[in-house]
Order: sequence, then C-alpha cells, then structure tokens
Amino acid sequence: MEWIGLANYAVFMAIFICIYALLSLGLNIQWGFTGLFNAGIAGFFAVGAYTSAILTSPAVEGRIGGFDLPVPVGWIGAMLAAALIAWPIGKICLRFRSDYLAIATIGVAEIIRLVIKSEDWLTNSARGITDIPRPFGDLPYVYSQLAYLAIVAGVLLVAYLMVERQIAAPWGRMMRAIRDNEDAARAMGKDVPFRRLEAFIFGSALMGLGGALFAHFNRTITPEAIDPMIATFLVWIMLILGGSGNNRGAILGVAVVWIIWSMSEIVTDQLPHEYAVKAKYMRVFLIGLMLQLVLRFRPEGLLPEPQGTREEVSEKSK
Amino acid sequence: MSDILVMRDLVGGYGDANVLQGVSMTAAKAEIVVIVGPNGAGKSTAMKAIFGLLKVRGGSITVDGTDITGWEPNRIVEAGVCYVPQVSNVFREMTVHENLEMGAFLRSGDLSAAYDRVYTLFPDLKERRKALAGNLSGGQRQMVAMGRALMLEPKLLLLDEPTAGLSPRYMEQIFQICRDVRDTGVTIVLVEQHAKQALAFADRGYVLASGANRHEGTGADLLADRDVADMFLGG
Amino acid sequence: MGALEIINFYLVPGIVIGSIYALGAVGITLVFAILRYAHLAHGDLATLGAFLALGAVTLGGVSPYVALPVAMVLTAAAAVMIDKAFYAYLRERPKIVTVMASLGVALMVRAVVQVVWGVDSETYTRGIVRPDVWFGIRIRDRELITILAMIGLVLALHVFLQQSKWGKAMRAMSDNPDLALLSGVDNKKVVMLTWIIVGGLCAAAGVFLGLNYELKAMMGWTMLLPMFAAAILGGVGRVEGAVLGGLIVGIAEEMSTLFLPTEYKAATAFAILLLMLLVRPTGLLKGKVL
Repeated sequence: MEWIGLANYAVFMAIFICIYALLSLGLNIQWGFTGLFNAGIAGFFAVGAYTSAILTSPAVEGRIGGFDLPVPVGWIGAMLAAALIAWPIGKICLRFRSDYLAIATIGVAEIIRLVIKSEDWLTNSARGITDIPRPFGDLPYVYSQLAYLAIVAGVLLVAYLMVERQIAAPWGRMMRAIRDNEDAARAMGKDVPFRRLEAFIFGSALMGLGGALFAHFNRTITPEAIDPMIATFLVWIMLILGGSGNNRGAILGVAVVWIIWSMSEIVTDQLPHEYAVKAKYMRVFLIGLMLQLVLRFRPEGLLPEPQGTREEVSEKSK
Repeated sequence: MSDILVMRDLVGGYGDANVLQGVSMTAAKAEIVVIVGPNGAGKSTAMKAIFGLLKVRGGSITVDGTDITGWEPNRIVEAGVCYVPQVSNVFREMTVHENLEMGAFLRSGDLSAAYDRVYTLFPDLKERRKALAGNLSGGQRQMVAMGRALMLEPKLLLLDEPTAGLSPRYMEQIFQICRDVRDTGVTIVLVEQHAKQALAFADRGYVLASGANRHEGTGADLLADRDVADMFLGG
Repeated sequence: MGALEIINFYLVPGIVIGSIYALGAVGITLVFAILRYAHLAHGDLATLGAFLALGAVTLGGVSPYVALPVAMVLTAAAAVMIDKAFYAYLRERPKIVTVMASLGVALMVRAVVQVVWGVDSETYTRGIVRPDVWFGIRIRDRELITILAMIGLVLALHVFLQQSKWGKAMRAMSDNPDLALLSGVDNKKVVMLTWIIVGGLCAAAGVFLGLNYELKAMMGWTMLLPMFAAAILGGVGRVEGAVLGGLIVGIAEEMSTLFLPTEYKAATAFAILLLMLLVRPTGLLKGKVL
C-alpha cells in the first residue's frame, strides 16, 4: 500500500506546484519581462484566496457573505480584487525605480495581513473562512484530488499559453525594450509607467488566482495558512533559479524548489521536537543562501531567457 | 623628451563598437592642445580613453613616460592626470571650498598653497567659497570644476567642452584661465565645439573625423586650412 | 482629553518610537544615497543587534547600556561581512538585483536569530519601571536615554560627515559618484565605512526597541516600513531629514490610535510613504529620487 501513499503525495505536490507556478508566472511578467520588484506576493495571494472564499462559500452569520456564487465567479473575483489592489500601488510607485515598489509591496502585504487578522466582519479573523466549495470535492478522495489537479493544471496551461502569446506579441517586445533600456523606450514615445502598470496588474491578478486555487483546494483559509515572508521568498527563488524571463524556466524552478522545500521538511520532521523547530529556520536560512548562490553563480537561472531578447541588462551584468 | 602625453594608434569604444579607430596625438609640457571635429568624431571619447573610462583595444597612452594604458581612473589621477567632465562636474551639495577639498583628496599635508593658487586663478570662487556649488551659475560651476581638478597640481589637465553652454564673456574668461594655468607649467588638452575660437586660442590642434586623425598643426595653420574651414567655418 | 494626556499617552511614546525609527532611517538613507539601493535587510540587522546585546546582557551580566556599544561594534562587523559576502559581487549589476539579495539576507539574518535565540519574546531587564514625573509629564529613564542617545549619535554622525575627510568622501559619493571616483576616492573604503556606520546605527535602533518594548525575531522586520517611510519623508540622502521623518512617523503612528484600531499603526507609516511618493517624492528636505 506504500506506493498508493506515495502516489497520493505526488498528486498533492503536483497541485501545489501548479498553484505556485501561477505565482511564478505572475512574478515573471512583473520581474522577468518588465523588471518590477514585487516583494508582496503573499499579499496578492491572500487577497485572491479570501475574495474567492467570500464569494463562493455559503452565507454565514457575523461576516460579509458568503455569497454562495459559482466557483469560476470566485476565481474571476479573486483576479479582479488582486488587480484592484495592484492598481493604486503601481500607479504611485511605477514612476520611480523599482526599489520604491519593493518597499510599497512589502507595505501592502503587511496591511493585507493586518486586515485579514483583525477584521471579523470581512475575514472572520483568526478562525478564517471554512466550507469553501471545491470543484469535484464530493468524489472519493483520490478522484477528487486527481480532478482538482486536472483543473489547476488546466488553469496553469491556459495562463502559460496566454502569457507566452503576449510575450511573443509586439507587447512583449515593447516590455523588454522598456526593461532593458528605459530611456530609449521613453524616447521612442512609449508610455513607460503605463506599460509597467499593465504588467504589474496582470501579474498580480495571476497571483490572486493562485490564492483562489489554494483556498478552494484546502476548503478553508486562515491567516496562518501562509507565512507571508516565506511564501513571497519561495516564489522569488523559484523564478530566479528557474530562469527569469523564461516561462518554462519559471515553472521548472517551481518544481525544483518546491520538491527541495518539501523534501527538506520531511527530513527535518524526523528530528526530535526541540531540533525540529530550529531546523525549520535552518531551512529558511538555506533557501536564502540558495538565492545568493544563484545570483552569484548562475544569475540567468536553469533555463535562461532566449537569446536576442536580453540586451542592455546582460551587458550591464558582465 | 618633453611630451607629457603620447597617444599612439588608439582603438577602442563602449561595448563592442570601436568609436576610436586609430587616434594618435601628443601634447608637450606647458602646451594647450585642442581637439575639434564634427559631432560623433570621437573627440570626447578620445579624452575619456586617456582617463581609462572606456575599453581600449589597441594602441597605447603614456603620460610623462609612464605607460598608463588600461589603468583604473584612480591610479591615473595619482599619475598626475586630472579630468573635468562636460556635465555634472561639481559636487552640487557641497560648498565650493569642499569641492576643492575633494579635488585634493589624494593629497595630504598642508594644502594652503594649493588653495591660494586656485583662488588666485579664480577670484570669483574665493568670494563664494561657502556657497553650495549647485547654487552657482554655469560659468562659476565650470570654474569650480577646473579648480577642483587643479587642486592635485596635475601635469596634465583634460577638459571636456569647458565652454559648452556658456556666454561668450565666460568663454573668453575660461580660455584666459587656461592660458594662466598653462603658464604655471601644466599641459592642457581640451575638447571644444567652438572650433574657430578654440583653434585661435590653442597652441596646437587636432581635427578628428570618424574616430581617426584628419588634420593636425598649430591653431593658426589649421584655421588657414581650406578643408578645416569647409568642415567648421561654413565655407 | 487634556493636553497632558495627549503628551503622556501619545506624544512621549511617539517621540520615543520616532527616535528609534530615526536611528534606522538614517542608516537607510545613507545606504540609499551612497550605495544607491533600498536595503531590505535593514530591519533584521536591527534585530540581530538587539539580540547580540541580549547575549552580552545574559552572558556578561552587564546592563543593556553597556551592551549597546558592544552590539554596535558586532553588528557593524556583521554588516561589513554581509556586504563582502553577498552584495559586493553584485555591484556591477543593476542595483535592483542587490535589493533582491538584501531580501534574502533579511530572511537569513532572521533565521540565524531564530535558531540561536529561539522565537519567544525576551526582555533585557525584568520588572515594571515606573515613570518619573516632570511638571506632569511622565517619562521613564529609558525613554529619556533613547531620545538623548539618538540625538547624540546623529550629532556625532553629522560632525563626522561635515568635518572629516572620509565623511566628506561619503557625501561626495552620495552627491556625484563618478566625480568622486575621478577625484581618487576609493569606493571600496567608502562602502565599508558606510556599512560600519549603518550597522552600528541598526544595532542602536534594535537595542532601544528591545529596551522600550520587547525582543522578538520579527521586531526589526515590522520596523522596516516605518523606517523607509521616515527616510523617504525626510528626503533620501538627508540625515537630518531622516531624523525629522522618524519623529513624524513615530508620532503619527501613536496619534493614529486616537482614530484607528491599534493594529493599524503600521498602516500610518504606509499611508505616509504613499502620500509622499504621490505629492513630493523628494521628501520634506529635498532629497534624491532613485
């Protein structure tokens, strides 16, 4: 029976990889293709998760909703909500160098965390939102898992194809031109802040969608469900290791990092309790070190951005 | 040999393109040499090459007999070369006096003689030495920039378009100061857009075109040359 | 509510936390102006400083005020080492890559604190300190010392930047890096000096935060947003601006509890940050915009 357990675990991992891959694709639009530093990924993820949860869960006393709407409505709502939060932040910060966006996104993620933790009427605070419907959730466990994997994989595929199409289109060329030589792009009459805003909003919407898929998979969402700093950082290392500017790299990086991350958890869980707690932080330390090593020794990642699309930046990085 | 600067067949540029395709020039002690030429001829590039600010792929540069090709700018400063860029050539948020002090960053000991020298050359600056350099007029800023460079008492002073954007009155003043500096034994190489005025005032000149030498000679000879006249004087 | 209540319950705590923010914001503004990137590990470096001081207090049995200079020296050394290990080789790359590296360093430094000192809250000293009353204004010794230490450290830094050769070199590097290099300033030395100063200030911010509140692994990270808000409010590159910004953010946070639930103190700093970026990105004292 051992192998059934393993297969179940593999399906479980695959679902998580697909969800994180959506975040990584979203970040790739922002960082890989446009050079925007979003340090608040977990915030957009959480907004998506809660929005979809509120829209689709059955009505409950004491908080807004749930509205018991169909699941796809929740997912679209999740994307819209994340985009709606990204819009003012981007509007204000994208006129400046991305350092300011980094700080502002840290801030927005922190505010979102505070709202989720303290607003009873909206998020039910610490108890979280339960009874979130899961598509095909009534099937037996294995089939239900497989069905959900098919759904998230399908969503990921659609997102991947859409992003690839956009990147190959003139829009993508323009974005890279802006990233690699902002002054030249500006001189050619491109509305740089507006284009960046598009990329920031689009990427954030994908992160919101990732959050929604996560919430429906777990059927519940609580403030403790994700550690904002670690979640954000994992997505970053996934993208950088995989190869920013390359969508397949972004997805490969997710698989590699998520497998390392989960395996290391299995290893440290074997330790006696007193060490297990510390081991969790050792893992965080190592994932931070991993980023430094990738930045130093393989900044282009496992699957580099296709040649000919990267100009000024690679020149500078020599 | 009294040549302070000897540049031989210099090839180089930014990135992969070679802006300079074999430029040669010399400058003797206490001589003003001006580099002129049409836009994109590589004038400023040649000057930056002396100062180690771009990739040199061929040729050599010696200063006072020492080969400085490929050196880092801070070592070139120590070798007695000072460079005044065309733009953002002062510390705007520091006072005039502090700008001069930064110019003498590599020197230690008593600097009062150096300050005296600069303030004698630029009496305007002495009056405004507590003012922030960013609050001065364009001409005064150019003087601060030159004064900063002179604080090291260089053998060779490189000026990149020192009169760009200045009124004729200031241009004449800057040229006069260059002569005064030269008379203290400093070699000056400058790049100029105002070819006619510059050739008239310099000891010798080089005309560059498309990254290579086109003409050279005394200022007066070049001014009399038909080809040069066609290039610059609207002939 | 009377004036005294406002002073005692909002203004004094605001000035105390503002002084702590100011110490951090000065460091942030120096890194922003001289090294030209947003240093996201700043808060966690403060956490490290606070816990290093705790180490000195528990191991050496000294008072936190004696531990403060020890922690400042050790944190300065840590900052220099972090720079050498993780930031130095990124200097030729776009600056935003260093911002990313600093996010990783933030996580690593915090992980070290969590492994060495655990995740429980700690304090330097036990027991409740009753405030002294001066003309109706209630202030504790440690609060007074926090404010005075901030003023002392910033004044010392100011004199150093205005008067000393290397202080001027730092200003020159912030003002016009190319020209500073042309003048023969050794960039590596300026970078190292900056980290020594910034590390020391970080430790001071952390120790005073721990002294007035408590020590937690997340203490520095939660301080990051107000510190950046303070630096931008004051004007990037302006030391006196960072102090002003720190005090304003600190007082605004405390005052905000008059209108908002206490949980949303952090939102005040965020609002100030966005507002400044919207209406006056150069800050109150006309600093840089990257």
